[in-house]
Amino acid sequence: MKLDRRHFLRAGSGAVLVAAAGCDVPKALQSAMPFQPPSRPLAKGPFQPPLSDAVDPVSHVLNRVTFGARPGDHERVHKLGATPDESARAFIEEQLHPQRIEDDFAAWGVRKFETLGEPVGELFEYREHILLDELQRATLLRAIYTERQLWEVMVQFWSDHFNIDPSKGDCAWLKTADDRDVIRAHALGNFAELLRASALSPAMLCYLDGRENRKSRPEDRPNENYARELLELHTLGVHGGYSQKDVMEVARALTGWTVRGPGSKGFGLGRVEFHPHHHDKGAKEILGKTIPAWAPSLKKEEQVRRGEWELERLLEIILEHPATARYIATKLCRRFIADEPPVSAVDTVAAAFTSSGSDIRETLRALFATQEFWAARGTKLKRPFHFIVSALRATGAETDAPRHLVQVLLRMGHAPFTYPTPDGFPEESTPWLGTMLWRWSFATELCQGRVAKTKVQLDALRAAFGGDEGMMAHLLGRKPTPSEIECYHDSGEGVALMLASPGFQRC
Amino acid sequence: MRAKLQTHISGNGDERRTLVVVFLRGGADGLNMVAPVQDDGYHKARPRIALKQNAALKLDDFFTLHPLLKELKPGYDSGQLAIVHAAGSEDSTRSHFEAQDLMEHGGIVAGGWLGRFLRYKTPAASGALSAIALGQQLPESLRGAPSITVLRSLADFSFGRDARKFQLGLEKLYADEGDTLCAAGRDTLGALRRIEEIRKSAYTPAHGAEYGDGEYSRGLKQIAQLIKARVGLEAATLDLDGWDSHFQQSLLMDPRMTQLARGLAAFTRDLGVMLETITVVVMTEFGRRFFENSALGTDHGRGSVMFVAGGGVKGGRVHGRWPGLSDDVLEGPGDLPVTTNYRDVLAPVLERHGAGAALARIFPNHELKPLALHG
Repeated sequence: MKLDRRHFLRAGSGAVLVAAAGCDVPKALQSAMPFQPPSRPLAKGPFQPPLSDAVDPVSHVLNRVTFGARPGDHERVHKLGATPDESARAFIEEQLHPQRIEDDFAAWGVRKFETLGEPVGELFEYREHILLDELQRATLLRAIYTERQLWEVMVQFWSDHFNIDPSKGDCAWLKTADDRDVIRAHALGNFAELLRASALSPAMLCYLDGRENRKSRPEDRPNENYARELLELHTLGVHGGYSQKDVMEVARALTGWTVRGPGSKGFGLGRVEFHPHHHDKGAKEILGKTIPAWAPSLKKEEQVRRGEWELERLLEIILEHPATARYIATKLCRRFIADEPPVSAVDTVAAAFTSSGSDIRETLRALFATQEFWAARGTKLKRPFHFIVSALRATGAETDAPRHLVQVLLRMGHAPFTYPTPDGFPEESTPWLGTMLWRWSFATELCQGRVAKTKVQLDALRAAFGGDEGMMAHLLGRKPTPSEIECYHDSGEGVALMLASPGFQRC
Repeated sequence: MRAKLQTHISGNGDERRTLVVVFLRGGADGLNMVAPVQDDGYHKARPRIALKQNAALKLDDFFTLHPLLKELKPGYDSGQLAIVHAAGSEDSTRSHFEAQDLMEHGGIVAGGWLGRFLRYKTPAASGALSAIALGQQLPESLRGAPSITVLRSLADFSFGRDARKFQLGLEKLYADEGDTLCAAGRDTLGALRRIEEIRKSAYTPAHGAEYGDGEYSRGLKQIAQLIKARVGLEAATLDLDGWDSHFQQSLLMDPRMTQLARGLAAFTRDLGVMLETITVVVMTEFGRRFFENSALGTDHGRGSVMFVAGGGVKGGRVHGRWPGLSDDVLEGPGDLPVTTNYRDVLAPVLERHGAGAALARIFPNHELKPLALHG
């Protein structure tokens, strides 16, 4: 049962009842859909594997800008330019414009997850575990199949940056809307808008107690939880030069913003509102700038507009602070270049962030143009999610992202939407070094056909790459070493062994 | 880099303190496990199911241990085992789900308290087998841990067919000495070899310990094996289910009490002096109603007992403030109030296991008043 009793009784339409019976795509709805399932965009080969001894620029961008190369990806990207370098750059340019990339197959794949499109108020009609389950599986399915890979990579990046754990209170219902309306809507847009959407996200208002932050009596002290994380994690960074006083002043400026929860009367569940009578109307001094006190005797509508203006002004002040550009640039460079990002690259990226008016696409374009990005090939450890998805992509697996995959990720401490604190899953390699056993175990499960609802056809794939060494080059993004070739043949389980090898753990 | 790794990754062979958490799911009846036999009200409220005074099982001048828990008595007498009475959480819904969730999360927070402990302790747990949940699924308490192994038995580890050759291949591929990733791989291979040794040989618990049957008892035995094999285990969780009985409670609870005591006694005996680096905590989501119901059972209540055994524990006594059982003290429909929050029992234990300054992050939104459990 996906729906709880309340919804079940309320629902008059047959479609909902069919959905409640647990069918993947209700027949009644299927016929109403505008198109039939698109065919899977997987070429059959033969494929040209990578031919260089070291990771070439094409393999490099497939490693970093996507969740891993599928069969045929290397060859396709290679043909985009006259040199590997030019091809790789052309691919990045393609990926920077997701709206121009057809993505029917992935879109079709996630249609069965009906909760993803529900308006925020309707989400409360579902059981919590259904919402989490659909969100996790859709995230996996999109990462595996979407053609808009960089967009999906950035969705993950911002999901960590603005982390919300659905296991806290109402976030169980609201995270679905946050994922759609905040993270996905702005992943390659403008950071200022992303930040604003996050500040006004019902899920964020619950997760970091913003909705409890009010001043209705003189003795009320603001709840600083969101204010602190806004400065420490979302914008300036912990050493960004703000003081405890700034945190308190930011909290004051945000008093009165709240969200209607299941406890509130009437309609409008999950609606975000500003309550002027809960707002601290005095002047605030934030990072050396002043937000003036409210003029007395404002009319009701003027008061709401004044509250909205104050929020805008507050975010503007935080965003203008140079520490924000630097902090976002550092995190992006850590994701795309190295655990310890080179200062020169951070400088370049921070400058692009500022000069573009916090445009995420322009900032990334600058990052991908740095010499440091191109130099850091095959040196990062894939996090468990990246590892699992890249293994499925590399083997051309046919999967519907079953619960089994989520379980595998849970074992490695990296199932989507399960990170307990607001800082998001760590990007650095050290915390993930304890996951080797489960990576190896998954490699054998996948190749031996032991992953539920997931199929691979390794013999056909090997043939498409012209034999074992071509297959190995495809998996590793470069020619295999003599030692890798020897191990591959000795093991009797060569493909699984390559997926388990140090070479495939890196990107 | 290598030297740093040795201290950072829980290695093979290096000793780690191990915390074992046993959860009695369903709400165990603390008032009959550790009975306030000197309280007149107790006998009036439970005319048919109350324990009688029993000299052999006397814990102090006030409390008596249930006869089916008698195997815990030697540990209590020798000071290895401490009891905390009227312990529990602030949750008053009396719902199993809500109460277990709150207790495993460590409050209205995201993720589990054990998970946060493993992530924020010094050094953080990052070994291949640093956290193990015996059972079918990940308990909420471990959510958020850096890496978690859920297993029903040691037999769960497998690379399928050709496992031997596969492992040999990995040994060659991860041979690079100067590389962090390869060092982590070799560390894991070492842990695997130790597990294989465990699997190959029949296990004979030390000092004549007998664990008994059932999933819980087998689980405890496997935890003991893993600790002895030094695979770097830092936290293990294990459930003993089925305490929710509303009528004829002896039918359900009696066999579980026997199992609980036998397993725990065997575990401490089996590990012997190694217990110094181990703590076992036994907890339940809530106790049962003070009054027995018409069907010789008890309904969902509030305060219950917690057991803590292991190194450095100030055992041989019943900790916590006893609130009494008079009408003005009982809570809601007639329940033993909670005078010691479970977090204040866990806090000193986690401190001993390396939580350090992270305690406030592990139990946020709770003003800690750690119980003086160690001494």
